Amino acid sequence: MSCTPAPLRAPLAARAVRAGRLAGSPTLRFIIRRLLTAIPVLLGVTFLSFVVMNSLPGDAAQELLGAQATPAEIHQLEIKLGLDRPFLTRYWDWLHGTLTGHLGHSLSSGQSVGSILGADLPVTFELVAFAFLISLALAVPLALLSARKPNGIADRLTMVFSMAGLSVAPYVLALVLVYVFAVKLNVLPAIGWVPPGQGFGQNIRYLILPAVSIGLGLLCFYTRLLRADLLEQMQGEDYVVTARAKGVRPWRVLTRHALRNSLFGLITVVALNLGTLLGATVVIEDIFGIPGIGHELLQAIDNRDIPVIEGIVFVFAVIVVVANLAADVLYSILDPRIRYGRPAE
Amino acid sequence: MADLPSDLVVAGVAPSLDETAAAKVAGRWRGSLGVTIPAALVLLIIALCFIWPIIGPVPPPTGGNILNASLPAFSPGHFLGTDPVGNDEWSRILYGGRASLEIAFAVQAIGIILGGLLGSVAAYLGGWRDATIMRLLDVVIAFPAFVLAVAIAQGLGPSELHTIWALCFFSVPAFARISRAATLRVREQTFMTAARLSGTRFPRMLLGHIAPNILPQLITFALLGIGIVMILEGALSFVGLGVPPPAPSWGNMIAQGQSTLSADPRYVLLPSAALFITVVCFNLLGDGLRARWSSQ
Amino acid sequence: MTESLLEVRDLRVDFRHDGRVVRAVDGLTYSLTRGKTVAVIGESGSGKTVSSRAIMGLLPPTAKVSGSIRFDDVEMVGLAEKAMRSHRGRGVAMVFQDPTRSLNPTMRIGGQIREAIQTHEKSSRAAAHDRALELLELVRLPAAKERLEQYPHQLSGGMRQRVMIAIALAASPKLLIADEATTALDVTTQAQIMELLRDLQQRLGMALIMISHDLGLAASFADEVVVMYAGRAVERAPTQMLFAHVRMPYTRALLEAIPRLENESHALLAAVPGQPPNLALREPGCPFTPRCPSATDQCRQHMPAFEEHEPDHQWACWHPCADAVAS
Repeated sequence: MSCTPAPLRAPLAARAVRAGRLAGSPTLRFIIRRLLTAIPVLLGVTFLSFVVMNSLPGDAAQELLGAQATPAEIHQLEIKLGLDRPFLTRYWDWLHGTLTGHLGHSLSSGQSVGSILGADLPVTFELVAFAFLISLALAVPLALLSARKPNGIADRLTMVFSMAGLSVAPYVLALVLVYVFAVKLNVLPAIGWVPPGQGFGQNIRYLILPAVSIGLGLLCFYTRLLRADLLEQMQGEDYVVTARAKGVRPWRVLTRHALRNSLFGLITVVALNLGTLLGATVVIEDIFGIPGIGHELLQAIDNRDIPVIEGIVFVFAVIVVVANLAADVLYSILDPRIRYGRPAE
Repeated sequence: MADLPSDLVVAGVAPSLDETAAAKVAGRWRGSLGVTIPAALVLLIIALCFIWPIIGPVPPPTGGNILNASLPAFSPGHFLGTDPVGNDEWSRILYGGRASLEIAFAVQAIGIILGGLLGSVAAYLGGWRDATIMRLLDVVIAFPAFVLAVAIAQGLGPSELHTIWALCFFSVPAFARISRAATLRVREQTFMTAARLSGTRFPRMLLGHIAPNILPQLITFALLGIGIVMILEGALSFVGLGVPPPAPSWGNMIAQGQSTLSADPRYVLLPSAALFITVVCFNLLGDGLRARWSSQ
Repeated sequence: MTESLLEVRDLRVDFRHDGRVVRAVDGLTYSLTRGKTVAVIGESGSGKTVSSRAIMGLLPPTAKVSGSIRFDDVEMVGLAEKAMRSHRGRGVAMVFQDPTRSLNPTMRIGGQIREAIQTHEKSSRAAAHDRALELLELVRLPAAKERLEQYPHQLSGGMRQRVMIAIALAASPKLLIADEATTALDVTTQAQIMELLRDLQQRLGMALIMISHDLGLAASFADEVVVMYAGRAVERAPTQMLFAHVRMPYTRALLEAIPRLENESHALLAAVPGQPPNLALREPGCPFTPRCPSATDQCRQHMPAFEEHEPDHQWACWHPCADAVAS
């Protein structure tokens, strides 16, 4: 995994390329400004987690050697692992390493943090992407059906079910699904994970239950959001009246006009969600035994494996920052009013 | 209500008319469900969890007799049966509810007060003070709270109090954001300028002018968030924080029940059902209040 | 008498609002011949827009329409939605007041025009594209080819209104309703758009309903004028006759409110005193009474009927004005 501060540089590069096409250099400046203010946030987050982890009782050396070890043995290992050096030095070393692309090595396994992340992140991403896919693919048609006849039967049912879905805890759903589909019906596996390389079908099979556990809440949330926006468009916007005046069928007014405008708002929310969702996968990964980043994090905390924790925290924080930025910027990029600006007339 | 909607509003673009009419038709049905029924249910749940164990015939949730382990539902003296170590399940549900609700209420209360204050002050002061406060909040938000929660669990040991602290990391920034947005909106209104010009000082401003205008939104947010906090408390139980067993909370009951899921799912299903019903009621209440308050 | 294209008879529109019933249109009657222009003049709240939306069936579900609207020999009141849709765009088309909000901001101009075309006839995308180009040239939009690929916000207000007209003309309607189509434009553009409309109307043989509050505009472009007040027609006549022999005091007041070059500079603009009535609180008698210089007790108590008192000139007034000088 190329470990230049890729997460930081890539958005800048991509944006710079589009700068020529972006009507608004204000947008570019906005992005740069936001990325710059993100830096202290990233520093703050990583420093904070460093502090927190170091204040915990025990350290990696102790964990590795176990309860039987003598203080001398522990101390020896600590020197070997570099844990005896002062706190700030260790942080600075880590920071320096990260900025030059070396995230360090796991204290427990010796593996490079980069390779650990490289192995775990895609797994979690696949799970989250799957969950998003399910939720969005269902949310759009459900919202459309509801908005078609507000307060009609489809609408009422959708509102009731979405309220119920929002009130279910993902882990509760996970356990119920496991009980029904794995234990009782035995059609889907309860735990484990198969990499896509070893059979895409199997890979999906193991991800279905966890993805649904996460996805149901998302589905309900997005459905309600989209429905509300669609209704707002249909009832309040002049261009809807124009469309009706053309003789366009109501369903088409909904899908070709209102939906277009409502999707922008939805995409913004999805981007915002991405940040918070990563944390939520921890419990789901735990229940289903999915070897993703959440699982890794829990283990690392248990082992007091600071480099791994820092690496994960850093990546999480970057994703949150980028996702929030994307949410703010996507809207302006997608909206043709801002994208194309006003040429001279 | 003085004016009549003008021609154009009445004719084509009539969101108020159309929607109000539709809402009125539905509202007459939903109005009664809107606030009263959920409020009543919520009060019932609170009474069951907090008051009934004190005055009613409810055995203690811990210290059960191992000889009574895993009794089925409707056994004499244990209408929901007992858990694998002999504690009465009904009692665990009630006491568990009390713990979960306590935590949720505390977290939201701290959130509203601390977060609400923070966000409101930030919005009111504006400028670099606003920016700094929001940056700090961003750090907290970007921080993987699970790391913090697990760290607290391992460093300080799990307890109800520590769980509340950990959950405040979620709620305070969230309330701060909402409060800031709401205050910004209120700040722009003319009565605020008038108050400022007449020399009202900040604390008075806050209590007298800002608070009454942002409180409805904060309260609605708080109610809708209770469900989320309760669910989060459960999640924390999975990773080692939460209320430490043997004392029950719905969260730790679900987490513990995982191990006996295939054998006896009711240890997961019962607290899950209780949690679900409670969250639904709070959500309905929050929704109803939001509908009632935004239509004014 | 040539066959009328549109006959509105005793049109009433009620709205359920906040538990009450508000009568926005209270017995409107007029007719329109093919190829002619009628101006419907009134203040906001007079019911002029509501009545035109009723012709197209574009009122919200809270509206209840009664009376008769016969368009091209088809009764529109109570018409099933599906049949109504086939009329929209093809039989009757509308141009709205605010072209900024009336066009979908996220859809290219070309797409919006093509939609108007393809809703009523089966044509390929390419054919519709060509027709859209034709339409834009018809409405004299410069650089039409480029405009098709652009978004509404990239055009000026006047250009957007031309696009709206192009959209309205897409299915060759027999009747075009211009609902305050020029109110949001500056005076020069206003004149251009009106000229365009008149030109198009003559070329295509369309009938035109001009809805406006501007009596002066009606003077230049309309064949007939219907003046509405509080949901009713209060005067109707061919334009020349109306201006020469204005009868209803309200119309007279409107006329006098038009600024004139002959008046001294800085002379006070005559305004119609008072406010339009609250349609929710209807009282017996003529609604204009509180603001009318000629009001009497009879006016307060009895509603005057809208009748033809002189050849081709209807009004509803107990005390019509005598002939006076009006330009």
